[in-house]
This record gives sequence, C-alpha cells and structure tokens, in this order.
Amino acid sequence: MRRIIILLLLLVIALGSAGAVWAHGVKITYTVTFSPTIAIEAAYDTGEPMANAQVIVYAPDDPKTPWLTGECDDDGRFSFSPDPSKPGTWEIQVRQAGHGEWLKIPLDEEMMQSGQGVVTEGGDEGFSTAQIVLMSACVIWGFVGTALFFQSRRPPAQEPGEAA
Amino acid sequence: MKKKPFVMLIVLLLAAAMLAACGDDKDEKKDEAETETPQIETGTLEFYANGEDFVRQGFVSKDGWNLSFDQLYITLTDIKAYQTDPPYDAESGGELQANVTVGIEGTHTVDLAAGDADADPILIGTAADAPVGHYNALSWRMVQAPEGEAAGYTLLLIGTAEKDGESIAFTIKLENEYEYVCGEYVGDERKGFVEADATADAEMTFHFDHIFGDADTPPDDSLNTGALGFDPLAALAEDGVLDVDMAGLETALSADDYQMLVDILPTLGHVGEGHCHEVQTG
Repeated sequence: MRRIIILLLLLVIALGSAGAVWAHGVKITYTVTFSPTIAIEAAYDTGEPMANAQVIVYAPDDPKTPWLTGECDDDGRFSFSPDPSKPGTWEIQVRQAGHGEWLKIPLDEEMMQSGQGVVTEGGDEGFSTAQIVLMSACVIWGFVGTALFFQSRRPPAQEPGEAA
Repeated sequence: MKKKPFVMLIVLLLAAAMLAACGDDKDEKKDEAETETPQIETGTLEFYANGEDFVRQGFVSKDGWNLSFDQLYITLTDIKAYQTDPPYDAESGGELQANVTVGIEGTHTVDLAAGDADADPILIGTAADAPVGHYNALSWRMVQAPEGEAAGYTLLLIGTAEKDGESIAFTIKLENEYEYVCGEYVGDERKGFVEADATADAEMTFHFDHIFGDADTPPDDSLNTGALGFDPLAALAEDGVLDVDMAGLETALSADDYQMLVDILPTLGHVGEGHCHEVQTG
C-alpha cells in the first residue's frame, strides 16, 4: 500500500516538473472597468507596473488599423472612452521592452449605451499541464481508494470443500 | 488476498481508459474543427522566422561583448497557424481551441543571419488556400537539423565576439529541442489576417538577447539579470576560438551558469514581443 502511495506521489512530482516552462517569467495582468471609460492597469507578474508601456487600441469595426495609440502612466495605467457607436470586441495591445500582451474586451450595445459597470480582469484561463496531471492523478487515486474500500468490506472467501 | 492486485490493475486500467477517452474526445474535436472547414474564400498565409536586428545587425551583450553573427541556423518543423476562439492565452497555457488550422509540411533549417543588416525576416514556407480569417495563434517545434552544416543541432550560432581588443571566433552548437505554442503576434502591425485572394504573414520570432543580455537595456532589467552574457563563454575560448556544444558547456561552465542557459533556451520563441508557452519535449 505504501509503495503505491509513494509511486503515485513520484508520478505526480515527475510529471509536474516536466510541465510548462514560462518564457522570461513574466506575466501581465490587467484590471478593466467600464464606467463608461475603459481603464487598464498593466503590470508584470512581479507586481512591477508597466510604466510608460505603449498602448494600441483597435475598434471592433477595423481590427487592422489602430483606433487609438498612447502610453501608460508611471503606474502602468491607461484609460480611454470607446466610441459608443462601435459595439463589439475592443482589442488592446500593451507592450514594453520586449514584453507584450493582448486584452480583448467585448462590449455589447447595452453596455455601450448604459455605461454600467463591467469589470474584467486578465489572468489565467483553463488549466496548466501540471494542474491537469495533478487532477488526473487525483482521479486515479479516487478510483484506487474506492476499490480498496470495497475490497476491505468483502467477506472472506470460503475455502474449497467448506460447507455452505 | 491474491485478488487484490488483480482488482487494482482492473481499476487502474479503467481509470486510464477513461482519461484516455477524454483525450481522444479533445483530439476528435480538433480533427472535426480541421475537417469541418466550410467551402469559403481562401488566401495565402506566409510563415516567416525572425531573429530580429540582434542577429542581422549584431549587438552588445550585457557584459560589453560586441557580438556579430555570420550564420545562425535554426531548424523548425510542425509549423501551424490557427484561428482560435477564444483567443489562445500563452500566459495560462491552456487548451488551444482552433476553428481553423493551416500549416506547412516538412522540416526547415534556415539561417536567421542571412542577408544584410536590413534584410527581411526569413520566409519558411507558404500555406496556399488558407481559409480567410484571422490566424491569431501559432505553434511550432524547434528540432535538431536532419542534415547540412547544422545537422544534429537545433541552433548553430557562428560569429565573432569582440571586447577591449580581444576577438573570439565562436561556434556554439545547441541540441535541446522545444515546442512552442503562441497566441497573437505582438508588434507595431497586426499579422495573420488572411483575406480572399490576398497574402498575409505569420511570424515566429526568436529573442537571442535572452541568452547574451543587451547593453542597451538597464543592468537591473529582468532581461539582463536573467541572461548568461558572453563572459562565461569567453572564458572557455582557447587562442581566440570557442567551439562548443551543450555537452561541452555542461562540463566547462559552472553549474549555475549552465543551468541558467538551460532555463533561458525555452524562452527564445516569441511571436513578435508576445510570449509563447513552451512544452518540454525532451
């Protein structure tokens, strides 16, 4: 039993360590509010703001031509008022010194007209490889545990020739 | 008691089959996405590899070495572009959900330093009849070259390093293979918009300043603090010549420097300035 537990733990550790490797250890996060302006806060995963990062905004009706360009302030903040006549997904590129990221903000007509608060945060979506491996190991362990439970409750088998 | 291992085996097989079925389901969905492409208008998508001005024009490393490259061979395969919805987020590295996939066949070894200082990125191949739409994700593998001067290596860097009157002719041969999955290109112009009967481009970008650092970037920037620089490599040169592969580097570099290099290599692949998710393959 102990061997099985150790083997499963080793499996999880081994597979987890062979998972994703992050380019340059940087992650950009955003906080977006709509009231009725869109406010962005761009920072690295260290918490350091993307001071003076370049910002390019693309409107939904022309995704190839910049609708607005600008720079974040010293705290990595940037805000603008989208054109209310252009509902759809507004796309914003933020980049600085070789690091960049996209932000996609869907704004429907009702939001554009009412200007009521929508809050979106950029971040992880889905599961990483390591998370999937860990979850898979947990599922397998769940099966094993269930089997062992019922195995332990099974009455001892009768010996051959024993009276019923 | 003898039945217990048998029951355990059955249970493990059932669990594995269930998990495999989940995987198959995803594969089937991907296949369906690839095969269910309706008869729609098509254009052409060109795939480029770009070592940036760092490779074409040379640059000064974080420790003051003036680096120039005569050749920089890289070998790429399984090159694909995707129309993803939702857009693929390389930061989270989740499942890439493609509605349309196009790619180019074969394994391609190219010289990122080819041409003059203002040369264009290197054209790898072309996907004709690419369904129109926005190809907002890319993936590729960097593998060992099957033949030619770079045979056996994923990267072959040939050039000269100069500092304070000292000159080193370097040949750096790297074997490690990597697989990159990336979101949308990040740069001055958007890429990957295929329109009917028109040509668009997609770019695989490689940031070699991650290895050597960049004197034009502040020393305390993460680019430089996380870069090896050239000093540790210069220390290995003999009579102005450095010819080394990964095995040689593992032997000659300090353990920390070698580990730093190993950690840097997976970060080379980008889409413009957009990071990629690297899946360790070997």
